[in-house]
Amino acid sequence: MQSSNEPGFIKNLRQWLEPLIVPLLAIITAVILGGLIIKSVGGDPFAAYRGLVQGAFGSKKALSETAVWATPYIFAGLAVAFAFKGGLFNIGAEGQLAFGAVAAALIGYALPKWLGHDIPAFIHIPLAVGLGMLAGGLWAAIPGALKAYTGGHEVINTIMMNYIALNITSFLLNGPMKDPNPLNVVARTPAIAKSARIAPIFDGLRVHWGFVLALLVALLIWWILQKTTLGFEIRTVGSNPDAAKYAGINVQRTIIISMAISGMLAGLAGAIEVTALNYRHELGFAVGYGFDAIAIALLGKTNPFGVVLAAILFGAMRNGGTRMQFLTQIPVDIISVIQALILLFVAADAIIRFIYRIRVREERVVLTRGWGG
Amino acid sequence: MKKLYLVTALMIVASIILTACGAPATTAPTQAPVTSAPTEAMTEAPTAAATEAPTQAATQAPSGQAPDCTKPDVFCVGFVTDVGKIDDKSFNQTAWEGVQKAQSDGVANWVQYIETTDSKDYDKNIATFADAGYDMVVTWGFALTDATYNAAKQYPNTFFVGGDQFLSKDDNHPDWPLANLVGVVYNEDQSGFLVGALAAMVSKSHKLGAVCGTDAVPPVWRYGEGYKAGAAYEDAKNSTKTEVTVVYHSDVGFDKTFTDPTWGADTANSMIDKGADAIFGCGGKTGNGAVDAAAQRKVYAIGVDTDQYFTLPEAASQMLSSAMKPETQPVADIIKLAKDGKFPTGGLYAGPSGYAPYHDLASAVPANVDAEMQALLAGLTDGSIKTNVPPVKPAQ
Repeated sequence: MQSSNEPGFIKNLRQWLEPLIVPLLAIITAVILGGLIIKSVGGDPFAAYRGLVQGAFGSKKALSETAVWATPYIFAGLAVAFAFKGGLFNIGAEGQLAFGAVAAALIGYALPKWLGHDIPAFIHIPLAVGLGMLAGGLWAAIPGALKAYTGGHEVINTIMMNYIALNITSFLLNGPMKDPNPLNVVARTPAIAKSARIAPIFDGLRVHWGFVLALLVALLIWWILQKTTLGFEIRTVGSNPDAAKYAGINVQRTIIISMAISGMLAGLAGAIEVTALNYRHELGFAVGYGFDAIAIALLGKTNPFGVVLAAILFGAMRNGGTRMQFLTQIPVDIISVIQALILLFVAADAIIRFIYRIRVREERVVLTRGWGG
Repeated sequence: MKKLYLVTALMIVASIILTACGAPATTAPTQAPVTSAPTEAMTEAPTAAATEAPTQAATQAPSGQAPDCTKPDVFCVGFVTDVGKIDDKSFNQTAWEGVQKAQSDGVANWVQYIETTDSKDYDKNIATFADAGYDMVVTWGFALTDATYNAAKQYPNTFFVGGDQFLSKDDNHPDWPLANLVGVVYNEDQSGFLVGALAAMVSKSHKLGAVCGTDAVPPVWRYGEGYKAGAAYEDAKNSTKTEVTVVYHSDVGFDKTFTDPTWGADTANSMIDKGADAIFGCGGKTGNGAVDAAAQRKVYAIGVDTDQYFTLPEAASQMLSSAMKPETQPVADIIKLAKDGKFPTGGLYAGPSGYAPYHDLASAVPANVDAEMQALLAGLTDGSIKTNVPPVKPAQ
């Protein structure tokens, strides 16, 4: 069966599919278990999943909304995945995303007022998005520097800095940046100027150019990681900092850069949500995206293209939940349950390997050699 | 071996996809196991569905299948929550009960809700109902104001009802009022008036206190001023002299004014030290802090918005009443008006005012006081009694 005269393209296909097996089986297992849970509370799992699929992919509008949902997930997922490549666990995407959104909103609504006149869109949009990106990057560079120079663990520091970021955001949106409209009672900024708004791609649908940007950024991140010296350094530091140091790589600098780029990607997630979708920053928007991003990065095996696929899957599930509720009145919480199960099975892939009797990596290497390529 | 498992896995996927696409929708929709946590869904949902949502089970189970809402003789109502749960025991739940009431009264043929999980879904959730031919969509919460306004413009043949959405004609809403959109608003001054009158009648020291959030928020100001006006009304009637102190937490920012229970408790305590024997807490957690302090000092506590006897169990034994904004009835009423072709015009619909039952303190309220309260409520409702509180705080 595994003969040495296997055609080359099948072998290539096998190599491409190999890393996909565990995530795919994790998703399938989670979906089956989710169905059993729906069944056990008296629901019809098939009706529920039919609603989910229809809601996520069943029409032009559904596809558009799935892309809208996937956009911040791609950016934030890339953020976490990029840090993973550098051997860093960035749990702070939530806070970096919030700062990216705050900065983009501030530039979006206040800059024309400060300058006293309108700004053309081709300057205003890059400025708002760019400063949002920068805000996230700077915020993430702090735990990066703490790690590089003091050894302070980035997991602890990024978690702590989430609280700082979210509370500062809360203060800003309730205080100095609050929408002064007397009818407004919620914590949100004024709407950003028209010149700072990224347009939808199609009339009547909300999918915007931010989604295209997200795909391009995924490509860019893959290129940086695989084709540049910086990417090589980051991956080397990630897999073995001692060897990297011995090889003459500036480990401290690389750690800070890894975190900064990771934070920039998270900041971009927030900035794009503000400039392309909400047109303002409102407290409570994007809650949990930074944490979903960890699941997405893990499900995507920290590969930029894997992250895109995982983000689209998570976006589709979040988006399709509405139609599932509408058709069956099954609570949307089930979506969170399925996502949690996926994460569980991806993180603890021994479970999946045990259930489906998939051999572990070491054996696979031997097998691959056995194919005699 | 590996191939075998792969094939099995693929077959499972295929069977899921095929059944999902192929099976006709014959099975009855479930009765929405309304639970709050995913873990609960596994263990408690069946019982929760049976006990917590009896109306829903009763009304949806027999019909089973959703009717065709696009038909003119089928009146369907959709309900979209703000980010939150349908069974939150307050805001969303009371409004949804109004929608359900319209169904059990035979006004609406079919009702359905969508819980919003993220603010970016407001438009989509509203459109899901409108696209399915629902006759009316009820959205609940200030944050849905713009989404509801935009949907009302996009779907002129669908009625829209917005809870807590005080719209006016401005840059973002240039075409307000729309013929198919109404915001439910409340005369908080009347509810404040009622509890103020009640406190003035049962107070022994004739000193009353109110601890409120910032008066920059019009409903809060109306509660506080209504409270004063109610006490003054009873003073004039019974020739008593009641001293009413209303303190607004306007000295801090919006981030703090409704979330400062410590300040609320301190302020209430200093009022009680000066002899006040009834405290009205109006302003989120700040007011709750005042109510709790009042209950600890064994003076009368008065809640706000909903019957806080149920939401503040620590203070329940001293809870005299609450200034209420009932939501269930106005929602049911508007649905009926729309079905009868008498949808309210002018963009705003004033919800009723009210006060909560006395519960544990019923014995402290004499029969004549209770009778007077009912007369006040009737008078305020029919307009024969006026609070004389303007809708917003006049500029100084």
